[in-house]
Amino acid sequence: MPRGPRVLTEEAARPAPRLDLGWDQAVVPVAPPPISRRWSAPALAAMGVLVLLLGLSAIDVAGFVADQFARGAPLGWLTLGVAALGYGLIGWAGLRELRGLAALESVERGREAVARGDHAAARRAVLDWAARVPAAAPTLPALKQASDLPTLLALLEAGPLAALDRQAVAAGRAAALQSLAATAVVPSPALDGLFIAWRGVRLVREVAAIHGLRPGVAGTLKLLRRTLFEAGAVAAADIAINAAVTAVTTNPLVASVVGDAATGAVAARRMLLLARAASRACRIVTPR
Amino acid sequence: MPLLTPIEDALAGMSDLARAMAGRERVRLAVTGLSRAGKTVFLTSVVANLLAAGQGARTLPALEAAAGGRLRGVRLVPAGTEATPRFDAPGHLAALAADPPRWPGRTEDLSTLELELTVSPASWLGQARGMVMGDRRVTLELLDYPGEWLLDLPMLEQGFEEWSRETLARLRVGRRAEAAAEFLAFVDALPPRATAEEALAREGFRLYRAALLRLRDEMGFRFLQPGRALNPGPRGEAPLLWFFPLPEGHGGGLADLLRRRHAAYLADQRAAFFDPFFRRFHRQVVLVDALGALHAGEQAFDDTAEALAAIAAALRQGGGWMDLLTGQGVRRVGFAATKADHVPARAREALASLMGDLVGRQTPSVLGAETPVRAIAAIRCTEDTSALLEGRPVAAVRGVLMRDGRLTPVYPGEVPLRRPGPEFWDAPYFEMPAFQPPRLLGDGAAGIPHLGLDALLAALIGDLL
Repeated sequence: MPRGPRVLTEEAARPAPRLDLGWDQAVVPVAPPPISRRWSAPALAAMGVLVLLLGLSAIDVAGFVADQFARGAPLGWLTLGVAALGYGLIGWAGLRELRGLAALESVERGREAVARGDHAAARRAVLDWAARVPAAAPTLPALKQASDLPTLLALLEAGPLAALDRQAVAAGRAAALQSLAATAVVPSPALDGLFIAWRGVRLVREVAAIHGLRPGVAGTLKLLRRTLFEAGAVAAADIAINAAVTAVTTNPLVASVVGDAATGAVAARRMLLLARAASRACRIVTPR
Repeated sequence: MPLLTPIEDALAGMSDLARAMAGRERVRLAVTGLSRAGKTVFLTSVVANLLAAGQGARTLPALEAAAGGRLRGVRLVPAGTEATPRFDAPGHLAALAADPPRWPGRTEDLSTLELELTVSPASWLGQARGMVMGDRRVTLELLDYPGEWLLDLPMLEQGFEEWSRETLARLRVGRRAEAAAEFLAFVDALPPRATAEEALAREGFRLYRAALLRLRDEMGFRFLQPGRALNPGPRGEAPLLWFFPLPEGHGGGLADLLRRRHAAYLADQRAAFFDPFFRRFHRQVVLVDALGALHAGEQAFDDTAEALAAIAAALRQGGGWMDLLTGQGVRRVGFAATKADHVPARAREALASLMGDLVGRQTPSVLGAETPVRAIAAIRCTEDTSALLEGRPVAAVRGVLMRDGRLTPVYPGEVPLRRPGPEFWDAPYFEMPAFQPPRLLGDGAAGIPHLGLDALLAALIGDLL
């Protein structure tokens, strides 16, 4: 076998383009297998109940309206008007639910696009989001001109998201103060818990509204679940929360009412933590 | 290299432990290699492929498998207030992807870069910690530096006399003596008690450096000291560099001056390079252009083996009882023969085997059972082909040459499994032509095509993910 290395010059060799090893295609991310979204048994049962309630009541109301028309046209029209108003309000509520869910989905799409590094999709989602969040309005022209993903993210983090995070923290502080006051005046621990649970849900909805989301019942549930996941990451910033708790509990007015009640401090901590977690859950970009 | 104090080691060990418990490990990966081994391209490829893998691209399948598919994201740690230059991975990638492409030039200075790998927790304990602390984040610290400086490492343990004796002994043998003939004639003619004449010191250094440059650039030798004589770095040439080896028996003013400069040079290298950057790292990869050494001839091949042995002996291997106690020292070393795309697929096993022989022949203690020795190409520039040579079909590679842009087949010669016998070295000195990089996406979205980089990384850092 010939041993010496050598360049094998070929007479016919001509300038050639760069080698294409097909690498770009070989490393394309594999799409995860589509998750089959099947209805769970409780969801099916709930949907059945809903269909029965709405469907049977609609049939019942239709029969009733027909009967009323049989008694007299004015009475029939009046009944029809009342029924249409009632069902219209229910439909409107359903529409708002869907819009709330759609807004949450669009935030999710934005996050996924950022994670993929897909500048075009991320830009679309961010501009959609910025159009409905007042705090983002001053940055909108700059966001439109951002030529790459890092610039887009830096603009978001420096501008609207920083402002929204601050507003969310302020909402959390207000909720913490209210929780402190509530623990001082509510006579029973059970009522205490109830108040804090209600205030917590309200706080999550407030923070969602700050971020341009108006979740309905389903949206709120979804958001609560996501907030719960984010709570773990937020607890890492415990020092910041400790400082905020100290700031709240050492407020002279609050201190005179609450004293050093441990339960009050715990409730305040929970509210502050919840505000930060909810803010993380609602952000168009996952915090770094 | 002087041992670190046990207290410093213990403090560093505690800091590592605390970081590990918090899921915020910091791993220093030392990429060591002789000059022209391909460190800069290796680092560029590691960064580009890890960033792409963080975005879901399957650029490093073996590493992803080692991580159990838990790698969730990779990002460059933003620059802080570091005084060390930042390794310009995006710039190097853009240059490789440009038309016409450009290979990174000779590394002239230190540069560092940090990557943060976000990893989902594997165990229940990790998941519980994740609920409190969030995902695990492993920071990978990377360092690029001129390869020539690495060979100052063995010098740190030697005095001027010992260094002079060994260096001159090497220079007087075989082809080295041809390249250094002028310098050897100069030092042999110096009177033993020469006075400290600056002109003599400068002339001796000029001749010595000319010999080193010729040995490096024309003959493929690597064991050349001091490193800054070949690559002075960004600070340029300073008087402390103006020394050269003296034969035994010299004891006049000139010998004193050279001895002081030698000591000052080592102190400066220790303070500016080895102590801040080489004192403490966790994983190490040693890159060697084994094929280049093979093509450069018998003496250059043995010279590379000798250089590797000297480096390996000077590096801490993390096996001492104090290292075990404090958790410091290098826990895993990998050896890689670079530019594996210069041989066809069927010869790559042989290249890895040759690499093992090159490293293990003189430093058997370095090669443990788990030490990975691989043939890799940080950037694959060729494809396999077959050609007719002297009427017989041979396996070859082909790529587009940098010099004329033509798609040209190259026969890399026979790659032996271990150091070949004397009959092998008849072939003349051959330097593999530079190939153009393949078509690349300049934004790095698809990483860089490579050979075996993922398996090497999996063996080096897979257990950390």
